[in-house]
Amino acid sequence: MNCRTILATAVSATAILASLPALAQSAAERAVEAAKQYAGTEITIVWEAGLQALDPLNFSGPKWKELTGIDVKVIEVPTAEMFTKILQEHRAGTGAYDALNVIPSWMADLARAGALEPLDPYVDKYGYRDELQTIAPVYRDNQMLVGDTIYGFPDDGDVFVFYYRTDVLGDPEIQAAFKEAKGYDLPVPPTDWQQFYDVSCFITEHTGGKPYGAGLFRDPPYAQQMFQERFRVAGGKFFDPETMQATVNSEAGVGVFQSMLEENKCMPPGVETWGFVENLAAFLQGDTAMTISWPPYGRWAAGYGLDQEAFSWVPKSQIAGKVGYALTPGGHPQLASGFSLAVSSDSNNKEAAYLFIQWLNSEEVSIDRVQLPYALRDPFRDSHFTSEEYKSRWPEAPQYLEALQAGAVSGILDLSLLQTDRYEEALRQGISRLWAGEDPQAILDDVAAQWDAITERVGVDAQREAYLDWSSKPNAYPN
Amino acid sequence: MQPASGQAFVGRGFKYGMVWPAVLVILLIGLFPIVYTAIVSFQNIDMFGEDTSFQGGVHYARLMGDARFWQSVLHTMIFLVVALPLELVLGLLLALLFLDRLPGKQIFVALLILPVVTSPIIAGSTWRLLFDNRYGPINQILSWLTGEPATVLWTVNPVYVYPAILLAEVWQWTPFMFLLLLAGLSNVDQSLNEAAELDGAGFWKTFWYVTLPIIKPVILIACLIRALDLFRLFDVVWALTRGGPGTMTETVSIYAYVLAFKQFETSYAAALAVVIIVLLSLVVMAALRRVEFAR
Repeated sequence: MNCRTILATAVSATAILASLPALAQSAAERAVEAAKQYAGTEITIVWEAGLQALDPLNFSGPKWKELTGIDVKVIEVPTAEMFTKILQEHRAGTGAYDALNVIPSWMADLARAGALEPLDPYVDKYGYRDELQTIAPVYRDNQMLVGDTIYGFPDDGDVFVFYYRTDVLGDPEIQAAFKEAKGYDLPVPPTDWQQFYDVSCFITEHTGGKPYGAGLFRDPPYAQQMFQERFRVAGGKFFDPETMQATVNSEAGVGVFQSMLEENKCMPPGVETWGFVENLAAFLQGDTAMTISWPPYGRWAAGYGLDQEAFSWVPKSQIAGKVGYALTPGGHPQLASGFSLAVSSDSNNKEAAYLFIQWLNSEEVSIDRVQLPYALRDPFRDSHFTSEEYKSRWPEAPQYLEALQAGAVSGILDLSLLQTDRYEEALRQGISRLWAGEDPQAILDDVAAQWDAITERVGVDAQREAYLDWSSKPNAYPN
Repeated sequence: MQPASGQAFVGRGFKYGMVWPAVLVILLIGLFPIVYTAIVSFQNIDMFGEDTSFQGGVHYARLMGDARFWQSVLHTMIFLVVALPLELVLGLLLALLFLDRLPGKQIFVALLILPVVTSPIIAGSTWRLLFDNRYGPINQILSWLTGEPATVLWTVNPVYVYPAILLAEVWQWTPFMFLLLLAGLSNVDQSLNEAAELDGAGFWKTFWYVTLPIIKPVILIACLIRALDLFRLFDVVWALTRGGPGTMTETVSIYAYVLAFKQFETSYAAALAVVIIVLLSLVVMAALRRVEFAR
């Protein structure tokens, strides 16, 4: 071994040793270290208004400031206006937003409009690729990329969960009466929509509406997401991929509309207007025995964190300890909405904005965030579902996390196309017409005609490309 | 002594010099957005693409064949022709009631005008709560009155959506009519009424032949202001039904909003705005001529 070789070996060894602390650092620590150079600056982040925003306002924002010296200004925007605001600011080129919360189904539109910063260079620069792999596959594989480019970090395990009252569905007297009436054992929980209908109507009839068998979202913005799920579970496809003709008015679609109408008859009067709060109040007060909603219902039903001031508007749970959790009937719950963290392409402080979202999204920080009772962020990493700390939060938390993890395997995506909201708007209007008493087939024919007109307007070829990209994702349709 | 022509010119120039900044500001604030909207309406701007090419009258032609646009015009006209007379009659009756001295009149007037100073979107949201089936008092009161559970879906059932919106709208804006008409009635020379009474005219004859003609310009102006407001009706409908069920209660303003800020069809929405501006300008000009005539 000559001197040059010895010298080279020594230099290499020194370099490796010097880099060891960096390699040993977690992604969160790397983000903090790198962000310190921006101390004294401020980054703005768009966050859904209300409870969601308490995460950066009360927890992550102040903590980031303490660790890095960077101020976080939270811009609260109602969900329905987030897409518009982000797009408008981008078109105006104001640079008003640095980091963004985006619903994954918007990412295709926002990326194509140039509003989102591609994140791959930052991911590699700050060594985050490995930690991205530990995000639950359903979110990682479906809610992170547009084409092959990373535009957002999946940050919220939103999935519809089926909640049922174990004391009602498990009541031996009700079970016996159900078997006598229907000729089969009362399924706990129901695993398909026919069973759901049978159980719901039977309980309503048997108890005289105390409680009602079920209550579900019926307000059109929520109900259209439930329709999307049920339509695909029933075998429906949104479009003919060859012609891009809408096929939402197929037998599957009409069948789901008819079922929804029938189910309403066994639910509390006025259920047609129920959104998030009405449905929550009814379930927590013990007025309904089954419901479907996002994961926070399960935490609140158990009474987790409800003593905090942020929950002064939530009725005290009368059903703690009496709730079971399961996949929605059909076994393919909608991964409804959700949020990914992104960086605005117009930001003047992209690096700092990126480092903040890497830190937020990291294993280390996200496990705390998904346990904040008020923040509405739901488990989305493999480690979240298996966290012993989380499992100890309330007696039924292990079953709760199991249900969420199951949903993160079989869940199906929101439809995501170019100008998705126009298609959803037609569906929302269709559902409001359904509650107004119009014929399901006529409504869906009209919705299909509107979808065709929108596709024509957007451009058939461009839309086909977007649809094929979406439908090729593993969780676009039930497998 | 006549000023020299040079002095006159300097004087006139000075006057124009003093006025032009104000004129410029008015033009910039008032006219520029309209002109710019008109320009945009001939382009091909949406929020998703970069194309701003000139399209001629494509958007106007599309608008003429847009059934949803014409339906929204029809819905707007329904609100207008029902709400306006109701507000006028109720406002007039209230004004006549409060014309005389009443105990606690000032307190009642102050209470009556509260709805007018409430933001329309707040008023609409409040009515939505009132109409709510689970928590709202309206169905609760109906239940007490009928002796059985009342489940009237005010914002869902096609039979009730128009009455619900009109109730909220009339509740909020009748006091506006009342205030204007009370001011008009207060300025009627009482000696004319007294003379009519001496001639043997009763209350209604005096009101019809003496009072009403005098306050006619006030009524026309009040109706014009309210008609313009009703043509722009947005907040209450948005809060109550968002234009639903389907598009059954969608007004022109809601449709324009949906086009511009939900569907991001900027140029098409601009074309719609221009058509509405032209239509309303014609209506205003005709109405102002009537006011002049009434004088």
